[in-house]
Amino acid sequence: MSYTAEAFQNEYLALGASEVNAIVTVTSSGGDGGRRTGGATEIIIVDASGSMQAEGRIGAARQAAKAAVECIDDGVHFAIIAGVSTAQQLFPEPGRLAVASPQTRAAASHAIDRLQANGGTAMGAWLLLAAQLFGQRPGDIKHAILLTDGDNGERHGYLDSVLEQIKEQFICDCRGVGANWKVAELRKIADKMLGTVDIVAKPMELTASFQQMITAAMGKTAADVQLKVWTPVNASVRFVKQVEPQVADLTGKRVEDGPRAGRYPLGSWGQESRDYHICVDVPAGSSGDEMLAARVHIMEGDNEHARALVRAVWTDDTALSTRINRQVAHYTGQAELADVIQAGLAAREAGDDRTATIKFGRAAQLAHASGNTATEELLAKVVEIEDAVTGTVRLRRKVAAEDEMALDTRSTKTVRVGRGQ
Amino acid sequence: MTLTTDCESCEDELASGATFCEVCGRRLAEPPVPDAAPVEPAAAGRKDCARCGAESSVGDDGYCEECGMMAGRSRDHLEADGGAAGAAVSDRGRRHHRNEDAMWLAVGADAADVVVSDGVSASFDPDAASDIAVRAAGELLAGARHPDQPVDTANPDETVDLENLERPAGAVGLAGAVAHAITGAAAAVASLAHTGDPRRAAANPACTIVAAAVRGPHVGYGWVGDSRVYWLGPDGPAEQLTEDDSWATHVIAMGADPVAAMNDPKAHAITAWLGADAGPVRPRVRSFTATEPGHLILCSDGLWNYLLDPAEFGDLVRDCLGAANNLLGAVRALAAYANAAGGADNITVAVIPVRPAAAATEPETTDLSTTKA
Repeated sequence: MSYTAEAFQNEYLALGASEVNAIVTVTSSGGDGGRRTGGATEIIIVDASGSMQAEGRIGAARQAAKAAVECIDDGVHFAIIAGVSTAQQLFPEPGRLAVASPQTRAAASHAIDRLQANGGTAMGAWLLLAAQLFGQRPGDIKHAILLTDGDNGERHGYLDSVLEQIKEQFICDCRGVGANWKVAELRKIADKMLGTVDIVAKPMELTASFQQMITAAMGKTAADVQLKVWTPVNASVRFVKQVEPQVADLTGKRVEDGPRAGRYPLGSWGQESRDYHICVDVPAGSSGDEMLAARVHIMEGDNEHARALVRAVWTDDTALSTRINRQVAHYTGQAELADVIQAGLAAREAGDDRTATIKFGRAAQLAHASGNTATEELLAKVVEIEDAVTGTVRLRRKVAAEDEMALDTRSTKTVRVGRGQ
Repeated sequence: MTLTTDCESCEDELASGATFCEVCGRRLAEPPVPDAAPVEPAAAGRKDCARCGAESSVGDDGYCEECGMMAGRSRDHLEADGGAAGAAVSDRGRRHHRNEDAMWLAVGADAADVVVSDGVSASFDPDAASDIAVRAAGELLAGARHPDQPVDTANPDETVDLENLERPAGAVGLAGAVAHAITGAAAAVASLAHTGDPRRAAANPACTIVAAAVRGPHVGYGWVGDSRVYWLGPDGPAEQLTEDDSWATHVIAMGADPVAAMNDPKAHAITAWLGADAGPVRPRVRSFTATEPGHLILCSDGLWNYLLDPAEFGDLVRDCLGAANNLLGAVRALAAYANAAGGADNITVAVIPVRPAAAATEPETTDLSTTKA
């Protein structure tokens, strides 16, 4: 697999400045002809709590799970977990993983037909079972789908302790069907498990959603890619964020790796490109000084695939130091967009309409200016946008819960900036 | 950068310490690396950091593994010592974070090739432009069959004495060689736009160039941009032999007030350069034959900007030549002068002594000003 890493920044800093920003674009050509060379394991967790009987959700979930199984490549290990008050393995027999083939896919499909909605919601237990099954396949590309329609019913703190135990062991994409689940809960799981979170408002949309997730997972060719960041003495990493395709703060996931270096998990990779915003605080230099503020390595175990240098050059030439780098400015705006939307939603829920209006106004402005039309459209369902340029908005009196949740889950979705200086 | 091994066939001789090319009889100016501590083999080739003092901490990419500071690029200060035949220095100056100037010096007995180039800061990777420009021009000058430079490749053990094989009237031929060298450098710089960093395509690497070839009393020189050649005779002010391809020179030629023009913010905007966006490059070349002893001075605007008065320029160079006991000392002093004056730009200066034919015992009939057409 070949990777490239390229840093985009204005390396020129005014005298006294000590904050260095860069966008590092990491691109992978995918594996050998886009094909996986190692193993892969896929686990589908379907909520089978009593509430899934509503609106034909359980029927749609069965259909979606069967469609997902059909998308699993031959040779990939897989299992299906039925989520009730405990975790029950639906397929294959408990404690085992099946190897995908026309026969096992048909058997899995048959097992899915037996899925009944009549239990509770215990996400911690479901994830723990998945982690145990994945544990049989060290080195595999590990991916899970978690589908739920409600709140977690486990005692407070249990899910957190499970996540702390199993974090980053596999990728988990979380989907909520309907509008009775908590965005914050699934976001917490997705964040710890390096996955995504999204709403599937209508049960009939589940099949497409599952197919899309499995297809993406089957396209991964590297299991565990990491970003290693070296910084000089007396410097500190302020943050490392994935900023494209969606915003994800990796700062807290740092694991120290030798003197002045740390690793941040990037999850599994296929043929794709992602952008990272790296912000480093360094001791200010004097005019003409050039410092290496960060050396960024793309790692897989001990193998370095690519590296990019983040530099700082101090100058008294304001024509240089005031130049704004397009990539840094764009993604700083996209991260702010996600922040103000979530702040707006929180203020709205707390009944603070004034703050909510200000936050959503800023969001409308940022979404419009950056060409993030998807977010602008979601925003328009929660507020009336009178003038996106000035950020003039009015809160809508009646907002559908699923529209609000869609805005919440998708607020972190970013658009890519055009390349070139 | 400076020529070190322009004669591939004699790299072995050079490695064993010889300073003369056994093929063409020219001596090669080696660039001593100043202020560099000897590298300890035990330290796996890693240098100590000059900034934080950490031992063996300078990594392969030139930054200190401890404090992150660029541990000084080799180009920050370069010197080329051609003994009595010429010397050159290129210095980062005080305000720029890197040296975007480049130089080339090759000397022989009464012979010298010298090239100075100044990267255009507004372009991307201007240091790469100036570097490739001086290499390309220098190699073309070294490879040129100069009219007064016989080459005996049949017997590499025999050192050719250029002085004894002197032929007259080589100046015009030298100008042709310089034109050829600059044209070659232009092509080399233009090719950079489509290599390396993609940003090079948007703001292609660009630079100025000034080159001179000296063979005995004959001098050929040429330029594109605002790097200059001066002639300094036994007395009087320095004489600027080049005309800057710059906005100021252009409007002064059109009749504008010289002082106002030089103070205009556009004064230094160059009107000709080497680079992919430069269009067809037509170097201006000239030649002359010295009738009295003097010095040829090539420099970038990092020096001449502080010495706009030709009399002051002449006095300073004479002072530096007088105070130093060799040419290298003189060029170091000139760079130090520009640094003391502010060092606002990269500074490159080369000084080549030129002697008239037969030690001026038979003065030529034409004088300097009329022969350099």
